[in-house]
Amino acid sequence: MRHEKSQQDRGAQYQNLLSLLGNSRSDAGDDGPSLKAGRMRSIINSHRLAEAYKEKSKVAYVSEQFPSEIVLSFGAIPWNVESMANMLAQSVDVDVNRIFQLTQERELSRDICSFLRGPFGMMLADCYPRPDLVLTNNQPCEGLLKLGVMAGKNHAVPVLALHTPHTVDEDSLVYLAKQMKYIISQMEERLGVDFDPDALRTAIEHSNQARDYYCKTLQLLETQRLPGVSRELHEIFGMNYFGAKENARLCKMLYEEALELVEDEPQKKKRVLWIGQVPEESHELLQHMRQVVEVVYWAPLWEGNRMMLDENRPFESMAERAILYHWSAERMSADILWVCENYEIDGFLVAYEWGCRNMMGVSPALRDLAKNREIAYLAVDIDMVDRSNNYTFNHIKNRVDAFLEILQ
Amino acid sequence: MSQEDTIQHAIQSVVDLYRNRFELLQAAQAPKIGWVSIETPEEIFLAAGVIPFRLTGEAGTSASEAGALLSNNYCSYVLGCFSEGLSGQYDFVDGVVFADACDMRKRLWEAWGRDVASSETYFLELPSDASDLSKEYFTLQLRKLIKAFEARYDREISDAALCESIALCNESRDLMQRLYQYKKGKRQVLSGEQSIQVVKAATTGLKELFNERMSALLDALQTAEEPKGHKRHRVMICGSYFDHPGILKTIEGAGADLVCEDISNGVKYFEGKIDPGTDPVAAIADFYLEKNTSARRLDTDVRVQHILDLVEEYRVDSIIYYSLKFCDTNLHDYPYVKERLRAEKIPVLFIEGERNATNIAGTKTRIETFLESRLF
Repeated sequence: MRHEKSQQDRGAQYQNLLSLLGNSRSDAGDDGPSLKAGRMRSIINSHRLAEAYKEKSKVAYVSEQFPSEIVLSFGAIPWNVESMANMLAQSVDVDVNRIFQLTQERELSRDICSFLRGPFGMMLADCYPRPDLVLTNNQPCEGLLKLGVMAGKNHAVPVLALHTPHTVDEDSLVYLAKQMKYIISQMEERLGVDFDPDALRTAIEHSNQARDYYCKTLQLLETQRLPGVSRELHEIFGMNYFGAKENARLCKMLYEEALELVEDEPQKKKRVLWIGQVPEESHELLQHMRQVVEVVYWAPLWEGNRMMLDENRPFESMAERAILYHWSAERMSADILWVCENYEIDGFLVAYEWGCRNMMGVSPALRDLAKNREIAYLAVDIDMVDRSNNYTFNHIKNRVDAFLEILQ
Repeated sequence: MSQEDTIQHAIQSVVDLYRNRFELLQAAQAPKIGWVSIETPEEIFLAAGVIPFRLTGEAGTSASEAGALLSNNYCSYVLGCFSEGLSGQYDFVDGVVFADACDMRKRLWEAWGRDVASSETYFLELPSDASDLSKEYFTLQLRKLIKAFEARYDREISDAALCESIALCNESRDLMQRLYQYKKGKRQVLSGEQSIQVVKAATTGLKELFNERMSALLDALQTAEEPKGHKRHRVMICGSYFDHPGILKTIEGAGADLVCEDISNGVKYFEGKIDPGTDPVAAIADFYLEKNTSARRLDTDVRVQHILDLVEEYRVDSIIYYSLKFCDTNLHDYPYVKERLRAEKIPVLFIEGERNATNIAGTKTRIETFLESRLF
């Protein structure tokens, strides 16, 4: 595979991307239910992607859960560097291997989470659109912060970073809010656009409209079996496009579609809460599990994902959301306990993405929680992106089968 | 006693503070609180009448349990500390302060609170840059720590007490800096292993005793003679928590001198001095954020510049970049650091390993090959 090396030409970078994604795993079999919302999401993402490669577009690389409302208020395109790892997972193995080979040629350790190595490799392959700046943060993990810094070095553009404290208190909220305001002042300079408070207000309104539908859909899931809906909520969370008008429409569509799926007497299957990073919907492990149980994803239910922003205190509100997105054994245990109580959860499957120290470190608290609540618990080591590294389906299948048997 | 014996005796006297730290700490009347990151301001502990000491993670006997209760895919320093806690090594202490120096240490803080019942835990928020905003916020965090200590020990921590503890710590820093002047020159008075042990002695919290013994060591060194012979290859080590004696011996055995350790058990611990000014808490906050040149520092260029400064100061010929396995920040930094160092034509060897690895034959071969090609 040959890549045109260009730091300047977004057109060439787009061609590089296409060459990487030439063969997708679309024929992988049971991809799960197809929702209209899913198709709408694809269109939104396609449009966003195409726009980002236009020379005149203003592109900001963002790490997961950076307050997208701020980026959108500048009319810039938030390019989530990590979500590209999921796109990698859906590509053919040979191309994925090439991407990881590039990172190894640069001596980036293979012990680093592949959700971080993947985007780094994509940058080395020069197939991401050249950014105008990088916006990063240390939540949920420090690896993302480092990835953002390295992206800035790679493209020689400024890196603006949020340091998100662990503790939710007034000092931390004020500190974060001040950082956001500082970042805005720097964005004005870099993007050559004056900050418009009304544009931010509009973005926050769109964000809340979307969140309102998002939360209503979550509520439906409490008692209803809605095929594909939990997954779609997860995808919308992964897009991190809150603040965009299209995202509000997308969430509305999903809610309306979920309403249509509501049944008077829903068919019950045992529910397993998938905790940790998630592979693509067509992943063999998910396909295997779905034959026996309903998989509910924890991430969309995360406290930060259920939070509406305070339109009168937008910065403090975004600050609080940022802290709630941090890994915390205490908060996560309380959060998952709430999920168990409201979503009739029968088992936890904790996915240790190779290299995700936070998931590994938090999970013993979840194991204790499962024990206290008499909920079946299974933790599996899995690399969902770099599959030749620490992942064998047959090995995991044996353990998952034993786990599923316990549930029956 | 010969001059060399006098010097070795003085070195051993300092190092004994580290070797006998558990006995010495337990014998001390003052309360003791541990810490795990060099961004933890010992000055505040001392002003509260508390002995601050670093957890070294060397004495634990519960390694398997630590892995099960946290994760086996964790940095061996973090697991070592946890193992010590689980095996009751620190039952005599009042608590441990965990600064937010990395994600794994944050998770260690949580696990410690869950599984090590004998001591309290304190979490210290720690920004990763030295902006005015971060300094302001870190000052607030230090004031919270002060309040927690005041409540715990029912005593006021005055500015005067803080100034006194700043002076005490500055004295330790000054003594260490003077010792390291020798490493900048031709005369390597300490082996690599001894250098690290001396720094570890400084982190045992017995500051007065350390300063006293260090002064005696520096007095002894004043009389030592300049060595004769040709210049030896000068190596600097940088990266994660490091204290592997086998690797140190390999470097020296290959005919090189380890002249600088840009690690938490090396110069990073004692660089700079605090000017207490009119607000000692703010001064402490500024100092610790400014001096942070570890992999956790947001802007890797600050770290690289610091490495380049040390290369010049210590006349370093080559660098060994040692990262503990699973030490994500150091692993993330390496490709960029390497690129910058190579641009400056500074040879660098990357080693990723376990802290207590016993089978280091492969690593030895790599180090020897790397050095031999430069020695002859």
